[in-house]
Amino acid sequence: MRKTLKKVAALGLAVAMVAGVVGCGGSGSSADAVKIGLATPLTGASAQDGKAIQNGVNLAVKMKNEAGGINGKTVEVVAEDDKGDSSEAATVANKLAQDDSILAVIGHFNSSCTLAGAPIYNNAGVVEISPGSSSAAVTDAGDYTFRVITTDAVQGQYLADWCVNDLGYKNVAILYENDDYGLGLADVAEEETGKLGAKTVVKEAYEVGQTDFSTVLTKVAASDAEVLIIGGLYNETALIAKQMADNGLGDMQIMGVDAIYSGALIDLGGEAVDGIKLTAYFSENSDNAKSQEFVTAYQEEYGEVPGTYAAYAYDAALVVMDAIENAGEDRVAIRDYMSKIEGFEGSTGTATFDKNGDVIKAPLRMEIQDGKYTIVEK
Amino acid sequence: MFTQQLINGITVGGIYALIALGYTMVYGILKIVNFAHGDVFMIGSFLGLVFVQGLGMPIYVAFPLAAVATAIVGIFIERVAYRPIRMHGADALAVLIAALGVSIFLENFAQLVWGTETHSYVQQIQKKTYNFGGITLSNIQIGVIILCIALMLILYLVVNKTKIGVAMRATSQSIVSAQLMGINTEKIISLTFGVGSALACVAGVLVGTYYDAVYPLVGYSYGLKAFAAAILGGIGSIPGAMLGGFLIGIVETLGAGYISAGYKDAFAFGILILVLIFRPSGLLGKKHVDKV
Repeated sequence: MRKTLKKVAALGLAVAMVAGVVGCGGSGSSADAVKIGLATPLTGASAQDGKAIQNGVNLAVKMKNEAGGINGKTVEVVAEDDKGDSSEAATVANKLAQDDSILAVIGHFNSSCTLAGAPIYNNAGVVEISPGSSSAAVTDAGDYTFRVITTDAVQGQYLADWCVNDLGYKNVAILYENDDYGLGLADVAEEETGKLGAKTVVKEAYEVGQTDFSTVLTKVAASDAEVLIIGGLYNETALIAKQMADNGLGDMQIMGVDAIYSGALIDLGGEAVDGIKLTAYFSENSDNAKSQEFVTAYQEEYGEVPGTYAAYAYDAALVVMDAIENAGEDRVAIRDYMSKIEGFEGSTGTATFDKNGDVIKAPLRMEIQDGKYTIVEK
Repeated sequence: MFTQQLINGITVGGIYALIALGYTMVYGILKIVNFAHGDVFMIGSFLGLVFVQGLGMPIYVAFPLAAVATAIVGIFIERVAYRPIRMHGADALAVLIAALGVSIFLENFAQLVWGTETHSYVQQIQKKTYNFGGITLSNIQIGVIILCIALMLILYLVVNKTKIGVAMRATSQSIVSAQLMGINTEKIISLTFGVGSALACVAGVLVGTYYDAVYPLVGYSYGLKAFAAAILGGIGSIPGAMLGGFLIGIVETLGAGYISAGYKDAFAFGILILVLIFRPSGLLGKKHVDKV
């Protein structure tokens, strides 16, 4: 008898739960909202950048909604966590692509994730616009794959020219993170500095999240290298800069691209990162009006200075919302509109998309001086 | 370059060895692999940072306090996550799954409490570098090596020369027989988790001080290497874990230094596979024969 009672109670509970779930589904989102997907690593090794991206997108959307939204409708962000993992990215991509109410997707961050998602988004005919994937392979990923960040090739070329022609370095050491992104950048840096007559004397990989760089730095110290080019992100760059002093490399010039532009590089690296030279598209000190507007709003909202990826994400959201506003709520029309965008003003400069969905814009030269990113001539 | 790389290898090897001791001691007694141990190392590193930065303690006070706090965390984990499962007579596999669960919990806990970013470790010890004929060595590096070796010696003496050590060894041979001899085996198990966690904390604070960084997922790669070190040395054997730690550190550093840094982890696990082919029970592990 007691068992039957339990069964009845369990059944009752189950019914209540199902009803609850259905209830949630009904009230979760309003029908007359414009929905944008966001696929970014919110947990895992790249979570810090993923969070910055989410902040950038949310800020752009919030500002848009405060200004009246798109054609009177509020904009809503559907955020999914790809964990920085390519197989997880495919799952997330399927989820977002199959939801017809989502008009475009901002993501992914890691190049490997953007590439994993590309066939899914392209088959479904929905735009994916990446705020952080600069691998050369993304160029050919499909008609629906866009990005607001330039390819590694563009920055690598620019960096090589600065390093060899302007600074006169002839022997180059390259350290890069062991993934699509780092390897792509390292290859471009080696090739481009080589074309200008410099020699790559050390080229070594490290793992993302690695803390001990003594082995590779001992190798650099034993070579003729005059300059160290880093194909990686700010956390590892800060650790490398700090450990260089221990290996007798305290005076060597470090150069990098915009992936190392972050307040965290200075917080973590302290004095050791002073003098690092980098190419970047975003600067909190830029006199560009769009950058200033973004930096002020971001600081007001989150109480911290935004980094590169927050800025790219903000720009990606602006592009997507502009496309929806002008092309209407239609996935294909949005793509067609985006492929024709020219001279779009964002916080990371003026963007034009080429036929492959790659963005074209000119980088800034920066150097860390007294713990601040300063725009320099040389 | 060889001597410099060897020193680099010994430094990182000492860290692996300290963590490996926790794996090997727990395995020795319970025959389970505590996969949360790498994350206990991370928690220890963060606790050290909290005591120094948050509470403004000098490092020599913060160090032992963090070790005690981490030991309590380790004992607590065993109490709430592993003991209830063991008491139900579940096999080692169930405990292993629980350990993976604890690992995921600790990583996410750390990300929630301290954020996902990498934290700079407060430098309380003025770093000095010495140069001996082309070889650079920092005072922190020397400290890491000395502390690792000293702690291992103390542990070795405790296990082999004290009454509590006898009880630990008896428990590892057979829990049931040890109980019959009047040993409170649950206390010994708690002690084992406590000591292992405290050693992991020391390793964590050393990594934080030496490399000046800590982040919530730092325990993954250190934990994995230390686990490999414990297996390499013969899991269950304390001198084995020490030997394995130094060996993995040196082999991966020399491999990375002379061949390619991209294959650093491949060297570490390559040597593990190589040794296991010829000595399945590890370098110093005892041959295990099941009687039918």
